[in-house]
Amino acid sequence: MFQLQLRSIHTALMTTRALSEFLRTAVRSRGDSAARIWFDEALAQIAGGTGDLVASYTKARRLGRATLSLNAAEKSDAALLLPDAQFDHWTVEDAGRAALLLSCATTSPESFVRAATDCYDHGDSAEQQSWLKSTPLLPEPEQLLAIVIDACRTNILPLFEAVACENPFPARHFPERNFNQMVLKALFNKVALSRIAGLASRRNADLTRMAADYASERRAAGRTVPSDIGLAMTETP
Amino acid sequence: MKIFDPHVHMTSRTTDDYEAMAAAGILAVVEPAFWLGQPRTFVGSFVDYFNSLLGWERFRASQFGIRHFCTIGLNPKEANNPKLADEVLALLPRYLDKDGVVAVGEIGFDDQTDAEEACFAKQIELARAHNLPILIHTPHRDKKRGTIRSIELVRSMKFPEERVLVDHNNEETLPIVLESACWAGHTIYPNTKMDEHRMAALVKKYGSDRIVVNSAADWGISDPLKVPKTITVMRQLGIDEDTIQKIVWSNPVAFFAQSGRLDVAGIDASPEIDRKQQYATNSVLRGER
Repeated sequence: MFQLQLRSIHTALMTTRALSEFLRTAVRSRGDSAARIWFDEALAQIAGGTGDLVASYTKARRLGRATLSLNAAEKSDAALLLPDAQFDHWTVEDAGRAALLLSCATTSPESFVRAATDCYDHGDSAEQQSWLKSTPLLPEPEQLLAIVIDACRTNILPLFEAVACENPFPARHFPERNFNQMVLKALFNKVALSRIAGLASRRNADLTRMAADYASERRAAGRTVPSDIGLAMTETP
Repeated sequence: MKIFDPHVHMTSRTTDDYEAMAAAGILAVVEPAFWLGQPRTFVGSFVDYFNSLLGWERFRASQFGIRHFCTIGLNPKEANNPKLADEVLALLPRYLDKDGVVAVGEIGFDDQTDAEEACFAKQIELARAHNLPILIHTPHRDKKRGTIRSIELVRSMKFPEERVLVDHNNEETLPIVLESACWAGHTIYPNTKMDEHRMAALVKKYGSDRIVVNSAADWGISDPLKVPKTITVMRQLGIDEDTIQKIVWSNPVAFFAQSGRLDVAGIDASPEIDRKQQYATNSVLRGER
């Protein structure tokens, strides 16, 4: 049992290191040389224990908001590391920030959670979006869960999408009630349900009822019902 | 036609809005404490917000001839931040005793979590202790169930239903609220919740008892003139003047008068406008004196 636990911790750490290395390489091959030099220095300082993660997390905006656009080889590497991760909506800045967070993830779980929470709490909207997109890559998901659930309460649509869309974290970790609320909020905000990773595996009776009630409420108000609402239902009522 | 907007977040609105509201016949408003579009992270933000509702905003309204009352409470969204929620709840008794506070609110459900229900119940107790009515926000998502749960909670705590205003109703929740002894609020928004024509249809179907309408104008797409605009549509559809007056004036006045802090005789008369008045050395004038 103990052996098994050690092995799974070891595997998680290997994945964290490999993901970190993968993202570093991806970021280094993009963007201008000044940004690259800054990025290497920031990572080295954080690894050496002298870096200011929160400040670097903000400064990572200099890596740019071009889409990450992984090439075929990178995509297959990514799929090996994390089969359900999706990078299609990532920017270079997002990848740089994820690498910064992962570089802290090999310290103690407590200090990692504290550092990661600081980055979120002090983040502007773009930084918080980067943070939320990176959650499926981060260790200690149970410690980060409350932040991700709370982020769903935002009225800032891109922030909500950073959780709800192309992100496997909610399907993996959200309790049923929170997952259902997220799906309803997507319907409410006209976010296509096909963008919710893992929706098919998390559908349930209560979500089916909530979606049916929503359709009924829309009809009573003389409004249209989202055409993809069936994706939230286990069976058509 | 005298108009009372029983739910409008004037903190987010401009002086142009106040001018237009006064010109349209709005004599009094209630501004419920709610969230600010972005989560607050320190209890001090609530202290300043509550003080602003009771102080600067009331003064600002008076400078346009509008009486401003408010409700104080912890909204359901921010009830989900446990540390903050405890600190805000501890703060509330001090504010619930103040002049011009006419209800506890907006309280109720958003995501319908256990934390929301606990804060909701605690604030129903506070309303009882401070002899105030309550204003209930019903959720956007899973609304019907949220409305039923809200009324069930009020009932299980034996809080008098006639002192409860359940807000943001639609075609499916209004009959549920009317079956209880609670009052039913309707928010007339440009795109979501309820619109003027649907509202007029509901009045034709259910009458005017315990029914109120509001603009709930805030920082989102909304319109502080929605109550007067609803009056226009109700008239066009042949609803009589007495019925309309009851919905846009007598009902909200009667509901909030239960607080004992709404001077019913006084609100008929517009406050005298003296823009040379100051609030803590500040005025709405820009050096015009």
